[in-house]
Amino acid sequence: MTLPSGIFQGSFKQDMAVFRTKTQWLMLLALFVFIFTMPLYASDKTLTTLTIIGITIISVLGLNILTGYCGQISMGHAGFMAVGGYAAAVLMARLHMPFLVALPAAGLAAGIVGIIFGLPSLKIKGFYLIMTTVAAQFIVLWIIIQMRSVTGGADGLAVPKPEIFGLVIGSKASYFILVMIIACLATYLAKNIVRTRVGRAFIAIRDNDLAAEVMGVNLLYYKLTAFFIGCVYAGVAGALMVNYINYANVEQFPFINSVWYLGMLIVGGMGSTVGVIFGVIAIQLLQQLATTAGPILAAVMVPQAAASLALIANGLVIIIFLIFEPRGLAHRWEMIKAYYRRWPFSQ
Amino acid sequence: MSKIKLLTILSLVIILSLSILTACGTKTTTTVAPTATTIAAQTMYIGGTFAITGAYAEDTTAVLNGFLDYAKYVNDNHIIAPWYTDRTLDKNVTVQVLWGDDQLAPDKALTIYDDLKSKGLLTERVSSTAEGLALKEKMNADRIGATSQSTSPAYLSPPETIFTNAPIYTDSLAGAADWFISNWKDTTRKPRVAYLSADMASGRSIDIPEMQAYLEKAGFEFAGKQFVPLVPTTPPTTQLSWLKDNKVDLAIGFMVNGGSQPTIKEAVRLGMGTDQPYKITFAFANPAHLQIFVPAMGTIGNGVVVTGDFVAWESNVAGVQFANALNSKYRAGNPVTNIMYLDGIIEAMTQVEAQRLAMAQTGKTVSQLKPVDVLEYGFYQIKNFSDGDITISPLSYGPVLVCGVSTVRIQQVQNGKIVEVGSAPLHNIYKHE
Repeated sequence: MTLPSGIFQGSFKQDMAVFRTKTQWLMLLALFVFIFTMPLYASDKTLTTLTIIGITIISVLGLNILTGYCGQISMGHAGFMAVGGYAAAVLMARLHMPFLVALPAAGLAAGIVGIIFGLPSLKIKGFYLIMTTVAAQFIVLWIIIQMRSVTGGADGLAVPKPEIFGLVIGSKASYFILVMIIACLATYLAKNIVRTRVGRAFIAIRDNDLAAEVMGVNLLYYKLTAFFIGCVYAGVAGALMVNYINYANVEQFPFINSVWYLGMLIVGGMGSTVGVIFGVIAIQLLQQLATTAGPILAAVMVPQAAASLALIANGLVIIIFLIFEPRGLAHRWEMIKAYYRRWPFSQ
Repeated sequence: MSKIKLLTILSLVIILSLSILTACGTKTTTTVAPTATTIAAQTMYIGGTFAITGAYAEDTTAVLNGFLDYAKYVNDNHIIAPWYTDRTLDKNVTVQVLWGDDQLAPDKALTIYDDLKSKGLLTERVSSTAEGLALKEKMNADRIGATSQSTSPAYLSPPETIFTNAPIYTDSLAGAADWFISNWKDTTRKPRVAYLSADMASGRSIDIPEMQAYLEKAGFEFAGKQFVPLVPTTPPTTQLSWLKDNKVDLAIGFMVNGGSQPTIKEAVRLGMGTDQPYKITFAFANPAHLQIFVPAMGTIGNGVVVTGDFVAWESNVAGVQFANALNSKYRAGNPVTNIMYLDGIIEAMTQVEAQRLAMAQTGKTVSQLKPVDVLEYGFYQIKNFSDGDITISPLSYGPVLVCGVSTVRIQQVQNGKIVEVGSAPLHNIYKHE
């Protein structure tokens, strides 16, 4: 097995490559084979769970760029998803635009709204910025409800099944494939954005914005760029969500989701692309476990015993991670990799 | 390395193409015809998604208990209700409840739905509007009929496969308006009406032009609207003061008890109510059950109206007697007192009846039934179905008939007691696009 341990890199390009050895490429190939052949053997429930995981990964990748890399804590991410979701819904249902136009437009709409709500970030940060993003969540949902003639108001809006080049993405399997392709592209982009000049500026701002400014980093530009990119991701995720459900409703984007997205970042590890994937999978699977355990617990005790089980489990996991592993699952993963690379000398 | 990359990319393209083709293709299923006619034990599944986490937790847990106890009753007696002794299930059929806690989250409802469907659930239930809307298209694609405790106007838009046992919120509140205007004595001015509703999808679902037009046509002057959180964290003083400042006579809206109780307490503190210095009537749609409201509020709640609800628990109708019997038999010493226990019994009974009708009409056993059989030969065929007078009228469903009842029950708190003050016809106010 040739994993990057003691491998001599002959150029900067080789040294910076995400996948540096044949083994890594083959492992990536195996992962893709595993993911994209899943509709052949996975159940509907598994496909639904994985589709939702895929959509959530896209959303949390955006939050990771904004919060994990740029340090701008947002608790209105579900609101930005709502912007994308409704933009796609209105474009597809009212204006009969194709899915391939609605999807990027949804991302763009959410990105622009993100810039508007990101404007105060130059003047305020920390707790105060959190409050403005919380406000964003509620303002966005309020506007959606008020625009009944366009958005359907509180009743929501039915969204037609997406079509790509005449191919209706109607089955669970086909939608799963679509979401996974977009999730892979989103992960690839996120991984590379943070390796660019822009990404390094984000990290500089996160670590010390005053020092970054002194070094010539344009705070307003980069903070708004972070908001834009993070919200584009949220918008795309929102559009995918409403297309999956074939219905857009404000209650698909509750405030509590914004909180859980931050929780997923904490569990996975802030400022790590692979951490996002770990965090989302961990919390979503925990939710599924709680949902499955609920009726079992209720059968041996009383139904009330199962109430709020998932919320309690999620909360506990986040507390445990904050105390015992604040750097998240990504840090654990790095330790495992380091152990493997140094084996048999790792201690 | 470049060869490896090329190989990887080529392999990916092939895998993607194959998987997309597989995913988009129609799956062929082989159906094995039953060859034996032996009477084997069979299970009839009922249930669906229940929000036992969140604002509806208390109500929905009572609904779940209703389902569980009703299943035990059918398994013990093999009839669907004491007043339907001729509607029987074979003794080899066991009713089992399948459920999951959707936490009032649409994405949770999706995975629970798939899970329960794979376990053989031929019917569904949805806990609230958001989950209903999330599942609506999926259920239509699978031709699965569902029962629900929520009565969102959105259920009236096609496909109409979610069946309720209470009036749609807009019709429910129009009933309150009808009743109020019929009792209005002042000939010098029109009564002023405003919305005082929960700030969420169900609460805002009444805020539609058709509703306002109906109120104005009925003789009201529309004053405006105020929204309060589903469960207020602070007393809604501002909203109530607004009603007072705008001389509102009737405030109507959607609320659960978590919202209606603190709202009315604050209203009384501000001197607002039917027997307070500022005369105003508060009317809420079905989920603000007086059966929960009155024991907690007593005479403080005097004058509050709730429309579209079940019969009072104290009444002696067959349905309530049945519920009491289930409570005594299966919950001795720990009875369920929440009124939504009755909803659980009705929903469970409706799901069993739909499957029983489908079996009778298609000649299939329960294990041979498909969801579409239960929808078309079951739910759609339920006509004048008695729930023991728990609802104001027998339930009837059909392809464009999702609201089972035909009239709106109007109840009011008088001297700390629930009094039935009348009924109103359904106006079918909500017009879907």
